Amino acid sequence: MSKKTLVIGLGNPILSDDGAGIYVAREIKKRCKGLSHIAVIEASLGGIGLLDVMAGYERVIIVDSIKTEENTPGKVYRLRVEDLGDTTYPCGPHFLDIRTAVELGTKFGYSMPGTIDIYAIEITDNTTFSENLTPEVEKGIPLLAEQIIEDLKEKDELLTPSSL
Amino acid sequence: MAKKITINPVTRLEGHGKIDIFLNDQGDVADAYFQVTELRGFERFCIGRPAEEMPRIVPNICGVCPTPHNMASTKALDDIYGVEPTPAAKLIRKLQYNANFIEDHYIHFFFLAGPDFVVGPQANPAERNILGVISKVGIDIGEKVIEVRRRTRDIIKLVASKPPHPEGGLPGGVSRAISEEERRSIRETANMSVEFAQFALQFFKDAVLKNKEYLDLILGDAYNLKTYYMALVDETKKMNFYEGTLRVIDPNGKEVAFFDPHNYTEYIGEWVEPWTYIRLTYLRKLGWKGLIEGNDTSLYRVGPLARYNVVEGMATPLAEKEYEEMVRTLGKPAHHTLAYHWARLIEALQAAEDLQRIANDPLLTSKDIRNMNFNFTGKGVGCVEACRGVLIHHYETDEKGLISKVNLIVATQHNAAPIGLSVKKAAQHFIKGGKVQEGLLNMVEMAFRAYDPCLGCATHSLPGEMPLEIKIRDCKGNTIKTVRRGI
Repeated sequence: MSKKTLVIGLGNPILSDDGAGIYVAREIKKRCKGLSHIAVIEASLGGIGLLDVMAGYERVIIVDSIKTEENTPGKVYRLRVEDLGDTTYPCGPHFLDIRTAVELGTKFGYSMPGTIDIYAIEITDNTTFSENLTPEVEKGIPLLAEQIIEDLKEKDELLTPSSL
Repeated sequence: MAKKITINPVTRLEGHGKIDIFLNDQGDVADAYFQVTELRGFERFCIGRPAEEMPRIVPNICGVCPTPHNMASTKALDDIYGVEPTPAAKLIRKLQYNANFIEDHYIHFFFLAGPDFVVGPQANPAERNILGVISKVGIDIGEKVIEVRRRTRDIIKLVASKPPHPEGGLPGGVSRAISEEERRSIRETANMSVEFAQFALQFFKDAVLKNKEYLDLILGDAYNLKTYYMALVDETKKMNFYEGTLRVIDPNGKEVAFFDPHNYTEYIGEWVEPWTYIRLTYLRKLGWKGLIEGNDTSLYRVGPLARYNVVEGMATPLAEKEYEEMVRTLGKPAHHTLAYHWARLIEALQAAEDLQRIANDPLLTSKDIRNMNFNFTGKGVGCVEACRGVLIHHYETDEKGLISKVNLIVATQHNAAPIGLSVKKAAQHFIKGGKVQEGLLNMVEMAFRAYDPCLGCATHSLPGEMPLEIKIRDCKGNTIKTVRRGI
């Protein structure tokens, strides 16, 4: 059975809260062992690298950290690719924004995912080398993993086994 | 009234950075400072860990230079264990390292420099990106870039388990041998890379050097900075990315230092300034002389242009021919900051040719990949040329081999002060009377983009793109105008 859905946990696992997305992905992987049509990976890369890993999947769920002016650590944001701004100023070849990556992949004729859901957890510290999360973010990890799994279950009801 | 223009964060640059440009009462540029996000606590994070963990930890310092960090760390580990890798192991390491140079240099040229030179420095910002480059050069070239990148990354994956953060790196060798079947695939990648390298150089000559406007930019004073240069060279003073002796030349091209990287503290000084988290480097024997260029400076540059200036030739024949053409055109030393791009493409050709040589070397598939004849020293210095310039890892351990001291000197650290100077010079040319236009601002950004600086972090919290904010402030710090784009 081919895997149709990919969950990508993004971040740097040795840079405090920057690794939040990775920890959420690990939690999902632990809880979704039986779901063979869902692939879960962790990655410390941006758009151009994301292009490689996203190609071929129908749906991609990206879990990342976010910093907003609201500054409420642990709060979860649901974003769409369009929310991430236009493609005018990609931040770098290695950290190309997700939207440009998708556009680039489509141009090259790759099979890019039809749906990309982005979950972002608000963080505090992403500049201190540490394998520990700050307390509010740590509390938020299992909650976000649970939320994503619930959302997956909901969507999977529409995805019958025969279509996998 | 003094004004301050803040470009924060800078666009199309690796990591997170900020440039402050200060205007004087007449609205002309008085000063410019290049700043980066501070990452804290790396040494504390490492202390007490087994030294063997370092090659797996350090690729996470930076999402841009993971392979060079991995390699410098592995070489430091050789030192700590007092062991030389076997000839086959060294060949496999060089295989991985050349693959990294090819991949990284093309991504920089086509994704970062391409928008400036292919689409145009003053083009509509909406088109001045990789998608605009592809529209200009054609989808097939874009596909070729992606294909070469994928195949060279496959080599890194083969040797070191996964790009972008390699996990390989053992004292005295490598963790796996190469099979004959793998050699065939590597050979195909190498052949493709040499062909593409030649195409890329021709493309650069046609699109950039034959364009008078661009050539004038490259040769113009706005992008000229007279400094010392430092790079690794082999025993014949040819370019070597993996190992060698550090050579320093003065702004007139004369050799002023030639030293074993183990003695780096005798030659490289580190200086703290209140406006930046980066410890700025300078030539210790000359003393810190501030942010100045010319014969009286003690600043030096590293990276492709520095390597071009420091070496007495390339290590491979096709790259040597290209190097000679660059020497005929620009002379030596060349202080033209935008010539970093040209030098970068010549290096990619050397890396591809060397990859080809390695792919055909019978030793590549030897099973003798590990020298376990350890002679523990507790101290190690690993030095390589990262794509962006000289990278030094220095570790010390206790008697159990647990890390007790870590010092890293990274390429962007060597280049930080010159980057600030380059930005200031460009800004002085393109911002006058307080008039700041988007196209002109990009011309200023081109000055630091040439260095391909990585800002030392693998943080990529959303939104995952770099908005640009320009703040013009009066002398009291009041914002009198804010221009935002991409936010």
